[in-house]
Parts: sequence; C-alpha cells; structure tokens
Amino acid sequence: MVAMLLAGGKGTRLETLTRKIAKPAVSFGAKYRIIDFPLSNCANSGIDTVGVLTQYESIVLNTYIGNGEKWGLNGIHSFTATLPPRQTEEGASWYRGTADAIYQNLDFLDTIKPGYVLILSGDHIYRMNYQMMLDAHKKSGADLTVAVINVSLKEASRFGVMNTREDLTVYGFEEKPKQPKSTLASMGIYIFTYKELRQALIQDAKNTNSEHDFGKDIIPTMLEKQKKIVAYPFDGYWRDVGTIQSYWEANMDLLEDGQAQSLLQNDSLKIFTEDTRSLPQYVGDHALIKDSLVNQGAIIFGTVEHSIIFHDVVIEEGAIVKDSVIMPGAIVKKDVILERTVVAPQFKVEKHVKGNQDIVLVNK
Amino acid sequence: MMKVMGLCNLHSSKELGPLTASRPLASTSFLGRYALMDFALSNFANSGIDQVGILIENNLRSILKHLGSANVFNSNTKLGFQQIMYNEKLATSNLYNHDLNNIRANDWLILGAKPDLFVVAPPDILYAIDFRPIIQKHIANKEQLTLIYTSISNAKTNFIDEDLVHIEHNRLVSLEANRGLIDQADVSMDTYLISKELMSIMLATAPSVSASYGIKDMIRHFLVQGQRYAVYKHLDYVRAFYGLESYYNYSMEFLNYEHRKHLFKEDWPIYTVSHNTAPARYGSKAIVKNSIISNGAHVKGTVINSIISRNVFIEEGAIVKNSIVFTDSKILNHTVIDRLIVDKYAHIERKSNLDEHPGILYIKQGDRL
Repeated sequence: MVAMLLAGGKGTRLETLTRKIAKPAVSFGAKYRIIDFPLSNCANSGIDTVGVLTQYESIVLNTYIGNGEKWGLNGIHSFTATLPPRQTEEGASWYRGTADAIYQNLDFLDTIKPGYVLILSGDHIYRMNYQMMLDAHKKSGADLTVAVINVSLKEASRFGVMNTREDLTVYGFEEKPKQPKSTLASMGIYIFTYKELRQALIQDAKNTNSEHDFGKDIIPTMLEKQKKIVAYPFDGYWRDVGTIQSYWEANMDLLEDGQAQSLLQNDSLKIFTEDTRSLPQYVGDHALIKDSLVNQGAIIFGTVEHSIIFHDVVIEEGAIVKDSVIMPGAIVKKDVILERTVVAPQFKVEKHVKGNQDIVLVNK
Repeated sequence: MMKVMGLCNLHSSKELGPLTASRPLASTSFLGRYALMDFALSNFANSGIDQVGILIENNLRSILKHLGSANVFNSNTKLGFQQIMYNEKLATSNLYNHDLNNIRANDWLILGAKPDLFVVAPPDILYAIDFRPIIQKHIANKEQLTLIYTSISNAKTNFIDEDLVHIEHNRLVSLEANRGLIDQADVSMDTYLISKELMSIMLATAPSVSASYGIKDMIRHFLVQGQRYAVYKHLDYVRAFYGLESYYNYSMEFLNYEHRKHLFKEDWPIYTVSHNTAPARYGSKAIVKNSIISNGAHVKGTVINSIISRNVFIEEGAIVKNSIVFTDSKILNHTVIDRLIVDKYAHIERKSNLDEHPGILYIKQGDRL
C-alpha cells in the first residue's frame, strides 16, 4: 500500500501562523509539527512508500520532509517523495483540488503499481494503525474504505457525514449537512483499491463541473455508480486543528489525563520528529512549572501553568504563562503575564496579553 | 588540500568509579542528554573534520549502542564517517591494548582515507575548541606535533594523572605525570595534532622501543631523545574527568545557568544521538527548581538542584535533591534522595534514608531500593 499525503493547503484560518509555512509544517505539542502525526502513523503501519503533495508555501515543508529519514521512511524498501505541482508536456497547472492533486500524480503511482492507495490529510492530529484499516478494506472487499469517527449530532454538521447501513456499508454521503442523518464523520482518511481510484480520478478529471474534491465529487460519484464504500470506525483521539481556537484546544488536550495524552506515549505508535539539537532544558531557581509540557532547549525562570512550551523558548523571571502555547524560539520577557494565548515562533512578547473566550494569537 | 582525520582516543580515558564499571567514560551520560564523547566528536564536526576514527579500548557494546547507525556527526554522510577502531586480538591485554596497536590493527582505514594530519582528542577532557586555526598554524610551520594544553591553578586536585607540560621557548620539552604536588601548572589536554610522518614513525619504531608503548609514551620517548614540539594554549573552559566525584561536580556546575555558555557556544552545536522522546511532563503538584530536565521525564514530585535524564519518573511526594538521575529510573512513593547518582533503570521506592549519607552515593543500574 502506498500513502499519498495531501499537504498543500494553506490553512487560512490559522491566521498568521501559516503566513510563510503550510499548515502541516506548523509546530504542535511542544516538540512536533502537525505532519509528524500522519507520517509517524505511516511508519508505524509498515507503509514503505509515501508521496507528500505540497503546494502552498512549500519550502519549509519540503525541506522538513526531506527523504523521510525523520520517520525512518528512507530504508531499503521505503522512500518518501515530495510531489509539488509540475510542468509537463501538456503545460503546467496547480493542484485544483484534493482529487486533482492525486490525478496529476497517477504516473507516480503507476510506476509503483500499488494494490491499494491510502489517502491522508497532512493536518490532523491522531495516532492510527492504517494496516488494520487495510485489513478491514480487504476483508470487506470494498472499493473504498473511509475512516469515520463518531461525533455529536450537533458537531456532525461541520463534517462530511457518512450514512451507513448496519454492516457499515455507505449508502449516502453529505458534506456539512444542516440536518445530519448520521453521526459518523469522515476523517479524510481513505483506502482505495488502486484500479478503482485510478478510474474514478480519470473520469473526474474529464468532468468540467467537478471541483475535483474527494468529499464533494469522488465519493458521491462512486456511490452513484454503486461502488462498494465501507466506513471504518475509529475510536481514538482525532482532531482537525483548523483554527487558532481548535489548535489551542488540541494542545491543551495533551495536558489532560485521557485519550490525547496517549498521543505522546512511547509505544508501538510512537510519534517521530526532528531533533532540533536544542540544549538541555533548564529550570531556574525561582521558576514554577505545573501541569505543563516543556520541550528540551526551553529556559524557564518564571511561572508556567497549564501550558505547552516548545524548544528554545525563554520564560524570563517574573513572567507568568497560563493556559498558553508558546511556540519555538519565542521569548516571554520579564514580568509579562500571558493567559489563554498562542505565541507565534520567534516572537518576543513584551506586553501582557489575556485572551478571554477567544484565544489570542500573539504575533508581529 | 590537507586531509585531516580525527581520532577520538578512548585508550587514554580515565575512569569514573562505579559509573564506568560496565561502560566506558566515553558513552557515560552527561547532563541528561549527551554521552561524554559527544563533545569531542562535536569539536571534530564543528572544525570540519568529517572523517573520524573512534579508538575503543573496551566495553565496545556500550559505544556501539550510543553511536548506533546514526550519521549525526557527519556533514557529508557518504564522505564522512565515524569508524569504530577496536583491537579484537589484544582487547583483553592490559599490556598491549594501547592506541598505537589499535591504529595498527585498523590501518586499512588510514591506508584508505590517506590523512595528512591526525587530530587526537580524548573523551574525558571536556572543552570546545575550533581546531581549524591550530591546524593552519601547524601546517604553516611544518610541525610534526602540536600539543594543546591549558594553565590551571588547582593542579593538586585537578588533572591528576594527566601530564604536566614543561615548555621552553614556546616548545614542548617534557611531559610528566601530575601527582598533585603543585597547584599552579601547565597541563596537557591530551589533545595532539600529529603529522602523518610522525604517526608512521611512531607506528614503525614503537615495537622496537617497547611493545607496550602508546602514542603518549612515544611522544615522551621522542622528547627525551631531544625532539621539541609545538604547543597551543587553550584559555577557555576545560574539565578533566577523574573519578565519580569529578563527574558529579562537573555535572552540577551546569546548574548555574551562566556556566553553560562555557561549553555550549553560539555556532558550536553539540551533536548527539536523538531518541524521539516526548517533551517533559510536569504534574499539578510538581515543584522544580534549579534543575536540568530531559525529554520524556515525568515530574509529579519535587526536584531541586538536580539533573533528570530521559524517561525518568518522579512520583508525587518523592523529593529529589542535589542528585543526578539516569535514563529510565523511577523515584517513587515519598522517598527523599539527596546527593545520589542513580544509574539507569533503577527504582527507588522503599529505602527512606537516602538523604543521610556523607558524600555522593551511587545507585547501581537496575537496582531496586
């Protein structure tokens, strides 16, 4: 099975955090970048070939992915390829949608001749063994298996919702329905039998009315054609960190005893990331740290409560950081008080900032 | 272009008491994140020396475990290397297992890489030096050997069994073991630049002088014969490890925040093998003061003036003071420890008076107390 990771989106709702880098490259969880989660999942699921489709602000992301070495995806049977849009004999074109991005790389897939293709999104936080999902896909004989998570009926209208029969076969799919008929939300994780995917993408490419999107176009068309689509329920922790608010919440989840904490467990689904060569973490004489995650390279002289502190952050003496996410290299100056904030990388905070209901992004 | 090969010389390393009973000093953990030899290897890497031999005396397994297959010290992972140099045949011989015999046993490496110059550095003397200007001067003056030394004012207790350096007219005249008789002294940092010519002379003549002579013995021998060599004085931070107490003291110095700039300089990264451990986690009752905390650590109790390594667990109610706790150890159940060095995989949960003892107490790897 080959994994194709969609990492080209801008992530506009993350505001200035994605001004110069794509959303999958945004730092998360004191040490990681968002894309570490799906890429580590690939590694831990025994997937050896990963194509990463990049487009928006791809320099940092492409450099970060490199040859996949950070996730061990550079072994004798494995490789990682970054696949940005390219010029061909037919001309040049940006990726026009998630399906088009894969369509434009069918030649890449054809050279590998995979039996199955796993389509992933580069901006979700979760741990999952895709091999188990593939086993289910093979067992059910589906053309397409879609991972789903059970959400509340109210939340369901934010997602693509799968309407399923008792045996989990899908008979309907609705994108952000006002009145959802089901609470099974698509996680944007698909396993296609490759020949079905290939066929569907070629047909979709010819359709001038299509937005070339998996949710909006490919799945509805496959349902119309009576293709077998099966839902694969997932009951672990999964978050789409689409907004500053949800980004902050997902970070805070790591501090609670519960499912999210397992994200960072040292087990068979361990998350791999780069080594930033930071110095050892130092906690000063008057520091106070409670309920927090603090990465190596951080220097803490002040107070940190219920917060996420990335590498090379400095919290100066007298500063108080509460319910906040302080991203790599940021400095919180002496006596500054931060509450319910997200501080952007490398930013020097010199004034008090207090978020209320809404989390405040502190940036230039 | 001059080809330089680094040799990290574990043969000349001192011991750290019980800490080095089953591992060499070179792979002993330091500041919760490094192995001691990372500093020598990073000096090579930062000085543009990409081809490095690691001369191993014994306890090969521990070095292999630390280095793994990682290319963390190379700027070019094809051209550069850290080659393990180990003298299998003589490894168990006290008399013959020395650096020159090791180099001879692994001469294929030198025949292949064809270095013009060797930089020999020990794992047990810690410093940050850019070798490039010293190499330049060595070449410009067509030197056979340049010895790097420093001046100290506490030689009665420091650099014991290292060499006192006698210099006349800016040339090295003699080396003599430091027996701690005087305080103010010039001492060798056991670090040498050796031309390929001198290295081949040493390899060729050592057996006819004494079969047990290593590099340092041969340098002494040549000095006695009237050779005079170049010297370079290092004026910055340097620490020579010698015994458990020195390890404890030189570690604890880094709890003074200002002290870290001596070894961790800007544009002078220290490379090490990374373990992909999660960030350190602090519980709601945690109290941590003046300490170094490594990733993977989970602190729910109290940590004061201590160094906590990877994946260490400090349970709520437990108190750790003035101690160094190695990887994967657990301090549990309201125990109070003070001035302890707790080796890897140890659990402390029953013994309650581990804060009442003179000096530093060492807890063995894997012990349950």
